Amino acid sequence: MMTTVKKAIITAVCAALCVVLPTAFHAVPNAGSIFLPMHIPVLLAGLICGWSYGLICGLIGPLLSTLFTGMPPMAYLPSMLIELAVYGAATGLLMSLVHTREIYTDLYISLIGGMLIGRIVAGLSRALIFAGGSYSMAAWATSYFATALPGIVIQLVLLPSIVFALERARLIPMRYPQ
Amino acid sequence: MSRLPAGMYLPGASCLHRLDPLVKLVGFVIFIAAVIVTDSVWGYALLAVFIGGLIVLSGIPLNTIFGPVRRTYLFFLTIFFMNGFFFSAADPLWSRWFFCLSWAGMIQGANVVLRLIILIIAGGILTATTSPMEITAALRRLLKPLGYVGIPVDILSLIISVAIQFIPVLFEEVETIRKAQTARGARFDSARLRERAESMFPLVIPVFLAAFRRADELALAMEARGYRCGKKRSEVAKNSLHLWDIGALFIVLGVLMVQIFVF
Repeated sequence: MMTTVKKAIITAVCAALCVVLPTAFHAVPNAGSIFLPMHIPVLLAGLICGWSYGLICGLIGPLLSTLFTGMPPMAYLPSMLIELAVYGAATGLLMSLVHTREIYTDLYISLIGGMLIGRIVAGLSRALIFAGGSYSMAAWATSYFATALPGIVIQLVLLPSIVFALERARLIPMRYPQ
Repeated sequence: MSRLPAGMYLPGASCLHRLDPLVKLVGFVIFIAAVIVTDSVWGYALLAVFIGGLIVLSGIPLNTIFGPVRRTYLFFLTIFFMNGFFFSAADPLWSRWFFCLSWAGMIQGANVVLRLIILIIAGGILTATTSPMEITAALRRLLKPLGYVGIPVDILSLIISVAIQFIPVLFEEVETIRKAQTARGARFDSARLRERAESMFPLVIPVFLAAFRRADELALAMEARGYRCGKKRSEVAKNSLHLWDIGALFIVLGVLMVQIFVF
């Protein structure tokens, strides 16, 4: 069981990684929407610390990134805040609800569920608020699934490996102690 | 002094050290806005003069201020050249295969690098002249109204202040790991999407492990010193705004206004 202080510090580190990780990819045009580097720390905060910390990381991470690096631009920030906050919260919530006694199954169910819920909420927020009337199903599928496919694959491969590596290094408690 | 870790507090008695932490924090946010809206040579010149003034007033050694930038110069060069060579422009100076050198790309690269350098220096001045406890207390004061609607302001302010201090530290960590993995054959600058995606693996997992190790150490140190979230905290000194605090805020606001309306 992690203490509140440790969860807060891990969330802070993940929020800082939201600034640092994408910077390496911003130099390549559209790399942010292809590789989705900012999603990784947010999803990880949700998986490890729970829904409330995932939500906080999803709000603070993009905000700090805009303030420090100008990316994402202010115009995209509100929709990204909603999207990332939902990713963090949904992944954390699913992780606390799903207990199959198999860590990888828990991780994949929570990750895929969180990623789907986040994309649905982000699409709805764009259709109803940020691009009302000019947003189509095709545009949603293209931007959130087709363009982002490399990023989705990277997340699905990387995140369980990171959680497993952190458990092995005893930096986070084991979900199912042997 | 030049090898001090980035983001470290240096005790002192300069006028920047004595400025109210809340004013420094709000001033920092206003300054970030000024940096974001800057896109002209004169605008950057004004920011450079302003930052120069802050460095003189803070009394912090130049090596300490520019150390983090110097240690990560390869990172900035990579960003600049990748923008210069991969930016899709209508009138390229030179192009072959995926490479497309253009003025627009180089200007874009220079903008990104200059903004990052200026913000890292400004963030360094903030963290060098304000102790972590002062930053957390200032954030708590700033976010206090959120507490009335049930938001845990203590935890939120702790997360934000630690995140701000970790940004330069993690930039250095990424650069170190990038160099190590490049030496082992990782290809971060490959033009092929698949190779570039594959190069993320040897970078990201060590970065997360290093970052979480630092988080673990910090959390242990805080708990060992009796830090608990959600407990009522007392403050050694009650901060109140003075005339020079308000004057400092107006100066930063002036920089922002000049950037918006003049340059």
